[in-house]
Parts: sequence; C-alpha cells; structure tokens
Amino acid sequence: MYRRSIVSKVTQKKPLSKLSPLRAKSSPTTENTNEQTAKFEQFSSAQKAYLDRVVRVDQAGELGADYIYRGQIYVLSHKHPHLRPILDHMWKQEVHHRSTFNNLQLKHRTRPSLITPLWKLGATAMGVVPAMLSPEAAMACTEAVETVIGNHYNEQLRCLANQFNMEKTDGTKDEPEEIKKLTDTIKEFRDQELEHLDTAIKNDSHMAVPYKLLTEGIKSICKVAIWTAERV
Amino acid sequence: MSRLIAQKLFTKQSMAPSLLCIRSYHPIAKDFVKPITIEPLTYTTDSLQSKVLDHCLSNNVPKYGFKEKSIVESIKQLELSPSLVSVLGASNSPSFVHSSPAVLELIKYHLVTKRYELTKDIPQENIDHNNGLPSLEELLVKRLQMDIPIGSQLTDLFAQLSMPSQFLMETALPELLNLADDMIYFSNEKDHFDMAWYTKRLGVAFTYVASKLFMAQDISPNFVETMNFAHEKLNNVMKLGDYYNNTEEFAWYTLMVSVNLIKSQLSRN
Ligand SMILES: [Fe+2]
Ligand SMILES: [Fe+2]
Repeated sequence: MYRRSIVSKVTQKKPLSKLSPLRAKSSPTTENTNEQTAKFEQFSSAQKAYLDRVVRVDQAGELGADYIYRGQIYVLSHKHPHLRPILDHMWKQEVHHRSTFNNLQLKHRTRPSLITPLWKLGATAMGVVPAMLSPEAAMACTEAVETVIGNHYNEQLRCLANQFNMEKTDGTKDEPEEIKKLTDTIKEFRDQELEHLDTAIKNDSHMAVPYKLLTEGIKSICKVAIWTAERV
Repeated sequence: MSRLIAQKLFTKQSMAPSLLCIRSYHPIAKDFVKPITIEPLTYTTDSLQSKVLDHCLSNNVPKYGFKEKSIVESIKQLELSPSLVSVLGASNSPSFVHSSPAVLELIKYHLVTKRYELTKDIPQENIDHNNGLPSLEELLVKRLQMDIPIGSQLTDLFAQLSMPSQFLMETALPELLNLADDMIYFSNEKDHFDMAWYTKRLGVAFTYVASKLFMAQDISPNFVETMNFAHEKLNNVMKLGDYYNNTEEFAWYTLMVSVNLIKSQLSRN
C-alpha cells in the first residue's frame, strides 16, 4: 500500500511525455486494512489462464528487451561512446524488469515460453542489425519496440483493473494482494518503457533512414512476437 | 476493443486441453479460500465418489486390478446402490480402447490423489529451495513406494494409460507432467526460466515412467531393484539436462563470435 502511493506520486511528478496519452488511467482501488482473516474466493480458470499468459509474455518480452539493448551496446559502444551511458541505463532497467518476471514465473509456477532460445536470437538480431545501420536506426528500433510494449502493458493494466475485483468471504470485494502488486510492477515498468521511448526520440530516432519502414516493420514483428509468446 | 477481447477471454468456460495448458498460474494460497477439490478432480474429498474410489484403491485394486470388478466390489462392500458405477465415470467420454468410463475415473483418481499425497506434508507457503526440502530423488522414490501395494497391477495400468486416446492426452500425460512439476517445485532442485524448465520436467517424467516400467517387471523383495534403477536413471537424466544448457551456451558463444567476424568485415570497407 505504501509502495503503491509512492509509485503514483512519482508518475504524477514527472514531466509529461510526448506520448502521455499512452498512459492509461486506471482507477486506484480502495484499500481495506482491517481484514486479516477474510479470504478471497478462488480465481476462475479463465483468470488463472490470463495471469499465466501475462507472466509468460512479459517475461519473454523483457528477455527480448534485455537482448536488444545488449546487441545495441555491443555494436555501438565502441564507435559512439557518448551513447554508452544512455544505453547502459536503459539496459540495466531491462535487466531488472526481466529478473522481476523471472521470479514471478518461478513463484507462481507458470511455464516460460517454449521458444526462449528463439526469442534470444531474434532479439539480438533486432538489437544488432539496426545498430549496424546507424545509431539513429537503433533508436528508431527502440522507439518502435517501446511503443508496442507501452501499449501492451496498458492493455494488461486495463484488464487487471476490470477483471480482478473479487469476492471475499466477508462479502466485501477487493483485489487480491498479488494482483495489486502485479499492477504496481507493470505500472512502474510501463513508465520506464515510455521513458526509454522518450530517450530514443531525444536521440534522433526520427532521423533514421528509412524511418517509416523500420519502425512499422519492427512494430509488426513485436506484435506477432507478443501474440506467439502468449500462447507458446 | 480490448474490453471485447477481455470479455471473450473471460466468458470462455473451458480451456482447450493441450500439453501446453498444464496447470497454470498458482495464486498465493494464504490469501484464498482453501479449494475443496483436488484439481483436476471435480468432486470434493468427502464426496461419495471419493469414498468409493478411495475404498476401491486401497482394498480391491491390489486384488482385482484397475477393472470394473474392483469398483463393483467396493460398492457392494460399502452397501451402496449398484447404479453408482455409471455415475462415477460420468465426466469421462466413453472410449473404445478402455473398458469403462468408471475405470478411467478410478485411474484418474489414483494418479491425482497419489500426486497430491506426495507433497501434502510439505508446508505450501514460503517455499525455500535451499532449505528444508527433500531431494528430487527422495520424492521420486517416495512416489514409487506408494505403488508397492499395487505392484502386480502395474503392467495392466500401463497398458490402459498408454493407449492412444483422449484419456491419454487429457489426463494421463498432463498428470505425468504435473507430477514432474510438483517433484521439482517441492524439492531442493534448482529451477529455471528458460528451456531448462522444460528439459528438467521432461527428464523427471521420463525417469518416472522408465522406473515404473522397470517396477512392473521387478520381482526383487520390496522392489529394491526398482529403487536402484530410479537412482541411476535420475542421475543420468540430470546430467543430460546439464549437457543441454552447455550446448545452448556454446551456440550462443559461437553466434557472438560470428557476429563479431561479420562486423569486422563490414567495417573494413
Ligand atoms: Fe522492460
Ligand atoms: Fe524498455
């Protein structure tokens, strides 16, 4: 609860990003502190299946992000040393995102994506290839990826807010603690992804040639990847 | 749009049965009402079905095997209505290769409850994989020992389990993987978040099936030979898992070296 309020404060203080409409408004849930004994009814199998997907697709996505930035750093840090600290900062955040979802996967006993090696390969290519074209192309890639990821996280936040207000044994309704925590995690990460998006734009992603082809192409690849990782 | 998708997702009642849909997300148990059934069984542990099947497993299966006769005997001994036989298997669709839906239910009950029993004494909260948990081998041996009373029926059980059928895909295989998953989760075995997650589960499932097949033929006192076999097999299979991970790391290393090579070629121009 404490953490929750901190997070929302931080989000409000930050300067508005160019893409602030992407940030979905999800209403804060009311907290009841006085019930320790009341328990939640079991999740339905559809709810469980949904959470299962969320953990798997986000884990695969953050794994991808980790490897994309690794690939970019690998190619760019030598020739363009001024980009190194910027990329490093984003990469460290991605590593944290990834390990958070890794821990959630083990804790909630969901399975990782079956084609994990393929994600590693694809993400590395997606980091390395544009970076070899130009630093701007790499930034355009970041912009495209983070746009899709930002939207994807918002979609999840909406669903978590709509579908997980659950009955308790004392007749009240609330979100289970783990859903609140997951929501906080996704909000925090979404904000960081959108920061990455701003960083990419600040670093001339729009100057990339051919900008449209690159960003649109990468966006569609990301969407297909998300669809696949949810299922396989 | 997203709401539409969500609605569609949440009104869908039953998930398509598939090996990729084995037991999914586990909520934090302490926040929730204790479930009254053992998934995937649909009746409670104190229901009439459970009572009959339980009685049957411990009293009649060792004698008559996984056959309708065992169930009929149990119903007789419990002085219940004979028509109960057809109620028991109602959730299973009739199958050409199996004797009766009630027998299928009996087998399912056996698989599910034995798996549940295996880990029910381990505290389900705050699992710490470095502390206070049994080893994978201990759990494997414990599970094998649970079937000593029905040792002479194992061949027949195997025949029914491995028949290519809906039952195999919807119950037998998922239960096998659930068992492997439980053994890994409730032991001090290291778990993974990549391909090793799958290889380890498949390895444990494979070891379990191989040991069970061995057990069906074993005539040594108290199945000591089976336990030795399981020990050997598990060690070998776990080594195989290590090989796989080393292979992936090696492939990864090779890739990085080749990229490096291409890069140097490109920057030459
Ligand atoms: Fe991320
Ligand atoms: Fe990111």
